[in-house]
Amino acid sequence: MNSKNRTETEVPVTGLEAGLMVCHECKKVVALDDRPLNNCPRCGSPIHPRKPDSVIKSWALVLTSLILLFPANILPIMKVEYMGASEYSTIMDGIIYFFKEGSYGIGIVILVASVLVPVFKILGIMMILVSIHFRIESWLSHKTLMFRFIKFIGRWSMLDIFVIALLTGLVDFGFLTTIAAAPAAPFFCGVVITTMLAAEVFDTRLLWDAGTGKDHDHS
Amino acid sequence: MTVCPDCDLLLEAQMPHPGEKLVCPRCGCTLLAPVENSVEKTMVLSLTGLILFPPAIFLPLLTLDILGLESSGSIFTSAKAMVASGFVFTGIAVFFTSMVIPFIKLLLLFLVSMQISLGKANGATTLMFKAYKKMDEWGMLEVYMIGILVTIIKLLHMAKIEYDVGFFCFIGLMGATILSSSFLDENLYWESIFSQASASKTACQKAADKGEKAVHPA
Ligand SMILES: [Zn+2]
Ligand SMILES: [Zn+2]
Repeated sequence: MNSKNRTETEVPVTGLEAGLMVCHECKKVVALDDRPLNNCPRCGSPIHPRKPDSVIKSWALVLTSLILLFPANILPIMKVEYMGASEYSTIMDGIIYFFKEGSYGIGIVILVASVLVPVFKILGIMMILVSIHFRIESWLSHKTLMFRFIKFIGRWSMLDIFVIALLTGLVDFGFLTTIAAAPAAPFFCGVVITTMLAAEVFDTRLLWDAGTGKDHDHS
Repeated sequence: MTVCPDCDLLLEAQMPHPGEKLVCPRCGCTLLAPVENSVEKTMVLSLTGLILFPPAIFLPLLTLDILGLESSGSIFTSAKAMVASGFVFTGIAVFFTSMVIPFIKLLLLFLVSMQISLGKANGATTLMFKAYKKMDEWGMLEVYMIGILVTIIKLLHMAKIEYDVGFFCFIGLMGATILSSSFLDENLYWESIFSQASASKTACQKAADKGEKAVHPA
């Protein structure tokens, strides 16, 4: 770890120090002294050295998703009507059902996609934001890698919602049996959307700025 | 010289060969990943996706048979049923992530690729490609595919399942969409759009200048 830290601090200059900034949209490298240049010459997007208000926006979104996570998991997410009797089940009930049935593979898939991924995403982003706040210098490349992984898995949590939509559409046997969504569904969608947005507005370069003592203002 | 978009490291850049990648040594971010014949491949695959889209979405996916009673549905009717059962927000989220955005993405990618290959990219192409990039991760066909498999396993012991045309078209649609974005060489696209758009702009400028001269001969 020690030698790693040394190489990290010995690393040459950053783009910002060299007077360069990267367009957030098309990754074009633009010279800072072209200012007052407000838009990327290649794609026309507004251009900033770092994404504006990235940390505060990420915090707001990730805390929103943390709040939504509770109703999403506590309330029932699916309603099965069978011969006129309604039965509600939460996400956890659905997973337990698969394990009881002996379908361990599918039970694990849903456990990972619906429970572990959202929790991991929220805790991961919060941990990264906290480590920026305290300017923690270690594990920078690991945290970047974790963030990239969080971005990659973000969309997979929609799995359970798609399954419920398909069951609603397919299982329609009138009085015999029907399936529908239950109150947790919109909260669960909210968790997926807000965590994806929290990752979207976050700028990983802030992690490196804070970790290498270069977090002076970028305005 | 180039700069890593993820950690801001200043790098000595060399254009990698097709199939090779330029990776940031500090954070592991992929900076450049050129693809051979990217525009042609992406255009063909996005067109394939567009052709498969209507049957994949609107034709029945599966037919269930419980004690002789039959029920079938498509991807479209599933999202519609969700909205109809009162879950408007959730239903709309499903509509967008499984239909609207995947379709717009394929359409934009096809149009952009076609304009680049014809050498006619312009300001509108820039906007279209930017919109494509913005929507990229919000199209969730592969997640939906796993959703279909989970649904099948869930229903396996309570109903007889028949696979309909929509099911096979959907597999094709998902495959074409994944491949079209994996063959997409973003840097090449941006560079081509930029050079073609600025060339057409200067051509317009020249034509406008000429026109002005013709009106006011000095
Ligand atoms: Zn740009
Ligand atoms: Zn980097």
